[in-house]
Amino acid sequence: MAVSWLQRLAARASVPVFPVRGMHGEEVLYRLALTPGVELVDSPRHASILLVAGGVPPDQYGALRRVHDQLPAPFATLWYRSQPLDELASATRIDDPDVLSGALKAMHHELMCGKRGSSPRLLPDEPPNPWEGLGDDGHGGEGMMGGVPYGRPMAMNMHDDIRDGLTLDSLTVTLGPFLPMLPPGLSVEVTLQGDLIQTWTTRDPPYPIALESVFFQALQGPVPIAELERAMARYHLKHLYFALRLAGLEALALTALRLAFESHSNPKRVATLRRRLVRSGFFGLTTTGQGRLDEETARRVGGVAARAAGLEEDWRSEDEGYRQLGFRPLTQRQGDTGARWRQTLAEVEQSLQLAAQAEQDATHTRHSDGVETPRGTWHRQWPEDQSTLLDDLLPGLEWDEALSTLASLDLVPLSPWSLEEASGAPVAQAIAEERRA
Amino acid sequence: MIFNELILPVLLVTVVLVVGAYLVAVIDEVIAGALGRPSGAGAWMAPLAQGAWLLNQQANATEAPDWRAWRLAPALYLALAAIGLAVVPFSPTLIATDLVTSVVLWGSVEALATVVIFLHGWSANTLLALIGAYRYVALGLSYILISMFVLIGVALPAESLQFSQVVASQEELWNVIRQPLGLPLFLIVGLGMTFWGPLNLADSRDLAGGTASAVSGPPRLVWNLARAAMLVAFSGAAASAFLGGWLGPWLPGPVWMLLKMLAVLAVLLLIGRLMPRVQPERCVTLMWVVFLPLSFVDLIWAGVEALW
Repeated sequence: MAVSWLQRLAARASVPVFPVRGMHGEEVLYRLALTPGVELVDSPRHASILLVAGGVPPDQYGALRRVHDQLPAPFATLWYRSQPLDELASATRIDDPDVLSGALKAMHHELMCGKRGSSPRLLPDEPPNPWEGLGDDGHGGEGMMGGVPYGRPMAMNMHDDIRDGLTLDSLTVTLGPFLPMLPPGLSVEVTLQGDLIQTWTTRDPPYPIALESVFFQALQGPVPIAELERAMARYHLKHLYFALRLAGLEALALTALRLAFESHSNPKRVATLRRRLVRSGFFGLTTTGQGRLDEETARRVGGVAARAAGLEEDWRSEDEGYRQLGFRPLTQRQGDTGARWRQTLAEVEQSLQLAAQAEQDATHTRHSDGVETPRGTWHRQWPEDQSTLLDDLLPGLEWDEALSTLASLDLVPLSPWSLEEASGAPVAQAIAEERRA
Repeated sequence: MIFNELILPVLLVTVVLVVGAYLVAVIDEVIAGALGRPSGAGAWMAPLAQGAWLLNQQANATEAPDWRAWRLAPALYLALAAIGLAVVPFSPTLIATDLVTSVVLWGSVEALATVVIFLHGWSANTLLALIGAYRYVALGLSYILISMFVLIGVALPAESLQFSQVVASQEELWNVIRQPLGLPLFLIVGLGMTFWGPLNLADSRDLAGGTASAVSGPPRLVWNLARAAMLVAFSGAAASAFLGGWLGPWLPGPVWMLLKMLAVLAVLLLIGRLMPRVQPERCVTLMWVVFLPLSFVDLIWAGVEALW
């Protein structure tokens, strides 16, 4: 088939990839974000390739099929350390992160030049539920409102306004588990009035997140503090990347990500990033004092969230090695979204300073019955899922406020596997199977 | 007669909009690259390649959209950009439509843009697009009011609502100096009405692209083109109202005008890349509590200056 100049030109475009973030699939997406010629998009409608990164639990295959069918033709799927759906058994699977970007580019090129056919549709092109045929207009509601035609709840003025006195129709929708703005795996039912959240009910918890193996080793015996602190800084910087990207600060988000990938980041560069964030208006324009945690909730969440609310809870204070370095926990007072970001940046700087100091003296941890992880203290039991606290925290916030609050909170459970172990494909699949069980 | 009154104006508007929209994409790519985004196809080629990709992509469907409105909205937004640019003067004689009420027409473009953007989000019949539409309507009025006061400010010294007269009135002193609050306020209006950068609340990342979240293929290409075209039209209005339009030494008037438009575009695109998206509630507060009163001050300043 002759390839037109338009197709050849289209093949030269950056590859628009919609990532489905499965279990432990995040790491490769950070690498892709820094890869020239690959663009991670937020809507499946804007993509040419569906990248399923990491294992997906079988009970979420239905949601995965729905995302798959939203990509406009021509499109292809690529499965990174993930088992393709049965219907797509011949789809490309890749387990080596080094060849992933090349494979994505080649796939896009083949699609545009007509050398590869579009992925088949998996679901019938019909409404998921029948027309109800009830009510004044056959939709099952009252007047022109309400009812659940085709299984979709229609807007209905059933709830009193909870914020500004402007009562709009309420609309209830299910979001997740692959919505890019939510933590991977989190599925929620939300009732909205305009863009105001009236109710937020967590349906499925987010996937567990894997930490670097040094945190696991710290529970077995002494480990170099420099290594532990650098891992801590890396985790926070990747978390910050997500939030900055969400806030529309792509350049600074990539700066944070690059700092995370540098083996020996200088604390001064983090200080520069913080100054640039202040100057850009990140703290003034994107936070309105929302998402404040009370003391009890902050303690339950632990980690950065607890210290941002003024609680000096940090296992590092208990360790002789840290005391030798003069460690003191940093805290904020407000406990809101802005405070959590200020706390995160301060802790990244502190971690890098501690790492530099500890490296000089070859300081190791002394206690091995607990460790301070980026998610909080791991002592006797690891930090567990706290996503249900969103059900009380987010109602009353506007959509943007709710998402920036959510981005500032780290509520995901920790994985029993380290990052190095979890990146093995068989393990990722095993976790998915375990979750299903 | 036909050439001067029909072919030339249509040609002028079409060429400036198409070339301008392309340059918007190129400048934005260059700025993004300079700020650290990994570059792919190169700034000059990337917009063309993306356009070709969108032309090759299927225009998708959602569940029960309002088809006519959904398909029409991008074209209407592009048409509004063209109407806005049609009243922008490139020289005393090179004007597509030199209406005596061109400033008023520009105001109506801003108001109608609200309707079209809402239509684009609402007609897709999907949640995130609808939220984007709601947001724009909730905030649109605040931009339009500021724009109105600022534009009355530039009409006062000209004693006319005609952009060509507004430019002519800046022969001695440009409005950017005569009314120092005017241009910054008008740039905020521009970011708002074109929902760009910090004021991109309708098509934002937290809504996976907002009103355009469910659009693909050629309709998305038209929507992207229309958004860039509206920025071009806005830069024309800003250059005419505050930067002396075609006025300037040595170079021909139209060249000055194009250079000034490019300067406005570069500033808007740079702001778009350097600032975060403002939270809607903070945005409403800023607009009504800070910028609207400042636009009153600007108007009083312009009135006093005109009487002087």
